[in-house]
Amino acid sequence: MTNIENQQPVVTLTQVAAGYGAALVLDTVSLSVEKGELIGISGRNGSGKSTLIKLILGEIEARQGLVEVLGTPMDTQANRRSVQLNIGYLAQSQRDPSIAISVEESVLLGRWGSNFAWMKRSTGHDRKIAREKLELVGMASLARRDIRTLSGGQRQRVSLARALVRQPKLVLMDEPTTYLDAETKEDLMQSIYSLHAELGITMIVVTHETFSSEFFDRMLFIQDGTLLPMGASS
Amino acid sequence: MIERLALAFSIPVIRYAFFGMLVAGGTLSLLGVIIVSLHLTAIRFTLMHVGLLGAAAGLSLGYSPTLGAFILVIGTSVVMGRLGKEKSLSASSVSGLFMTGSLAGAFLLLAATGVPAMNVFDIFAGNILLMTKGDLIFIIVLGIGILGVFWVAYRELQLVLLDKDLARSLGLPVDAIVTGMFLLLGIGVATALRLVGALLVDAIILLPGIAALRFARNFGMALFLSALFGVLACTGGFFLSLFFNLPLGASAAMVSTLILAMSVLMKRTIH
Ligand SMILES: Nc1ncnc2c1ncn2[C@@H]1O[C@H](COP(=O)(O)OP(=O)(O)OP(=O)(O)O)[C@@H](O)[C@H]1O
Ligand SMILES: [Mg+2]
Repeated sequence: MTNIENQQPVVTLTQVAAGYGAALVLDTVSLSVEKGELIGISGRNGSGKSTLIKLILGEIEARQGLVEVLGTPMDTQANRRSVQLNIGYLAQSQRDPSIAISVEESVLLGRWGSNFAWMKRSTGHDRKIAREKLELVGMASLARRDIRTLSGGQRQRVSLARALVRQPKLVLMDEPTTYLDAETKEDLMQSIYSLHAELGITMIVVTHETFSSEFFDRMLFIQDGTLLPMGASS
Repeated sequence: MIERLALAFSIPVIRYAFFGMLVAGGTLSLLGVIIVSLHLTAIRFTLMHVGLLGAAAGLSLGYSPTLGAFILVIGTSVVMGRLGKEKSLSASSVSGLFMTGSLAGAFLLLAATGVPAMNVFDIFAGNILLMTKGDLIFIIVLGIGILGVFWVAYRELQLVLLDKDLARSLGLPVDAIVTGMFLLLGIGVATALRLVGALLVDAIILLPGIAALRFARNFGMALFLSALFGVLACTGGFFLSLFFNLPLGASAAMVSTLILAMSVLMKRTIH
């Protein structure tokens, strides 16, 4: 990789506004995330944390301003698609799965479109990577289990493995510790932290946990539609 | 017994019926896994009612009731799929809308045109012995089509069933896949209507899938068991009806029910 690529921010938001229908949720948000950073985002319920994540993910479009992710402007459908393939995303709420599927298979699915799709079958290589990621999140022993029989916290870990299985360049996590008990929360944050240290992937994590600020390179705070450094406001 | 079997199978209609049930049992039952996983149980019930309206329309217009049912069921399944997406209505709201509407429409239509309601219901009791070679070929083609869809879109179906948002973010054409599933469901229900009748569609399409999802620990196993239970129900029902002179649809439905009952008794419940 060249020096220039290394210096380029992974995410750049310039004076971005976004919202739903007539309502504006984010107003003049600017943010620059460097390669390898671990960023924490917090804010009150409904302040726009998930909206920010979806904006970076390319699920919603900016009303105004510029969104650039992995060096690509997120202004066309084609660009958003190609960027999405390099993002690992852990959504805020995990649906209760009603499909019978093994834990390992469910993680493998996260690699769809990279090595297998439609008539092109998955290979042992895909399985191997899926198993590696399960090991990373401490779920290797449950690889053969039916995903419907896992606890909420175990499911969350499996989703994390699924977000990593594409070997993404950027990982977005929307409150990965929701529904977990206090100890499991710390546990999961700890494993996210060591994953970050180990893999060096850029990560943006939405979290309400006050204890977790120590884990992050930077902690940001959303208030009144703008993004502030933690501690900059009341 | 063998003699009786040989005699029965020397009659073309019986042969068609047997192979029709065999193929339908082994393939339409796969749709059950999708119905249960996508929480579409309300929808297949709606499609049966829509089939009723279609049959009434077919009769009133002087066409075949089966044709009317077929066209309307398939058309509605596509519309329901799109409605659910565009107006973000839940599956049960969409099906409520269509079910009551089509039932009311069927009765109004019959009253207005003076067609006796029983004519419609007759057809919906299903009569497999009216099956022609053409019907059998249709079922076989449909069966191959269903197997083909599951083979080609094996991972894609898993992804959509597991998490639509995830599937979308990976670039899957989720809406097209869901519409395709609704379409397949519509064709499947319309076909099962003809085979075993409206009230027993579940015996082929739903119950094997429910039972399979109780035992299965992964997707492949769910599909395999679903097909197996479907075949058991349909062929078991076929022989029951042959030997004891019972109606075929009800016999198959009874075997199907027994399989499901056994799965409930034998297995820890997941849902
Ligand atoms: N799909 C949507 N349509 C309309 N409004 C929405 C939609 N999603 C979110 N909103 C609104 O946008 C605002 C920000 O929502 P967002 O989900 O980003 O909040 P959040 O900070 O993630 O909250 P939480 O801590 O509860 O997860 C809220 O007022 C919410 O009601
Ligand atoms: Mg949120």
